[in-house]
Amino acid sequence: MANTDTFNKLELELRRGVVVLATLSQLRAPRYGYELRQALSDKGMPIEEGTLYPLLRRLETQGLLKSEWKLEGGSQRRYYSLNADGRKLLKKLVESWQGMNDAMNELLKED
Amino acid sequence: MKMNANDVVEAYVTDVALQLSRKQRNDVAFELRALINEGLQDKAEETGRVIDAAMATEFLNAFGHPDVVAARYRPALNVIDPADGQKFLRATFIGLAIIWGLGLLELPQTASDVGFLNALAKWWMDTVIGSLWWPGVLVAGFGISAWVGRRWPKNPEWKPKSNDRIRGGRLGMVMGLFGVMFGLYILAEPRWVLDVVWGGHAAPVAYQALTYTDSFLQLQGPILFTLILLYIPFFIAVLVKGRHTPMLRRIETASSLLTCAVMVWVIMGGPIFMTATSDGMTKLLMLLIVIFSLIVLAVQMYQSVKPTPNQQPQIQ
Repeated sequence: MANTDTFNKLELELRRGVVVLATLSQLRAPRYGYELRQALSDKGMPIEEGTLYPLLRRLETQGLLKSEWKLEGGSQRRYYSLNADGRKLLKKLVESWQGMNDAMNELLKED
Repeated sequence: MKMNANDVVEAYVTDVALQLSRKQRNDVAFELRALINEGLQDKAEETGRVIDAAMATEFLNAFGHPDVVAARYRPALNVIDPADGQKFLRATFIGLAIIWGLGLLELPQTASDVGFLNALAKWWMDTVIGSLWWPGVLVAGFGISAWVGRRWPKNPEWKPKSNDRIRGGRLGMVMGLFGVMFGLYILAEPRWVLDVVWGGHAAPVAYQALTYTDSFLQLQGPILFTLILLYIPFFIAVLVKGRHTPMLRRIETASSLLTCAVMVWVIMGGPIFMTATSDGMTKLLMLLIVIFSLIVLAVQMYQSVKPTPNQQPQIQ
């Protein structure tokens, strides 16, 4: 179905736009990959593992996250959290998102 | 060998990690394996199944192909700037079409020597396979251009350029004007070149080679020279106006087409020069000028923009 395909593609575009913001928002406190995925999913923003785990590494390379290995319950896990730059960026992104969100709410109001 | 769930996970992690830099490979592999195992464990608890190879394969297929996942770990790299993608494809196809077409011109000659199928095989091997250097050159060229663009970003500000501007500026047009006048002088008396270069002491055969035939001087020559002569007032008109007006553009297109037609007529007609070598060489040069002019006209036509709605607007 062309319509379903188009919807899926456009929805994917929308989700791509918010994946970074959603991820950063849940890293104010340290979390490891699987825990972060669960947190996002519990709040209605499931992100595929194959997308989320590489994203964490890329955000770290971009200097927005810090990470460390921790031993917990016999398992070693890599915990990620925002660093100072990441916090500043998140603040700006949140302001920008809220502005866009208000504008979109206004635009999407039915006359 | 039958694989168990651990083997499947190890194979997946290895396939991803091998595509990463040595610096991050082992660390990512360790983390990825732990995360996959944890996800798999949760999935087993959710579904009440025992983890086996089939379940691990199913889980990892949902995770994503190792090539795709590995690509997500790396920063995006575009060898060719996405903005240049269309230009690259166009240049590739046009270039290949020209190379293959030129190769096909030789086909009848080769076919008469070795037979059609052998000639076709030769064309395929020599021209088609041989033409693959062209996309390679384009990839390298566009790649270098993209790298330069990233390394030294250009000012993104757009500066308007008039569509009517004279390409090369007024100076270019003046040089073109002198070029036409100089060319006409040589065409009127090609033996003048011999006098200038050899001080009038060139071999008689050289003078004969650059002597027009009577038939050319009586019929085709005057028409061709007149046509080229008309470019002088055209160039002057463009210089005076300082731009190509729509009318001047139309005149230029019409005169180019007319000149091409006359040149083809001259080529197809009788000999231009007294000797076969100089005649053949001149005709080849004229043919190349015709082809080049037609390509320029085709490109201009392709690049023309005439804002027009694709349907009649409804009156409300």
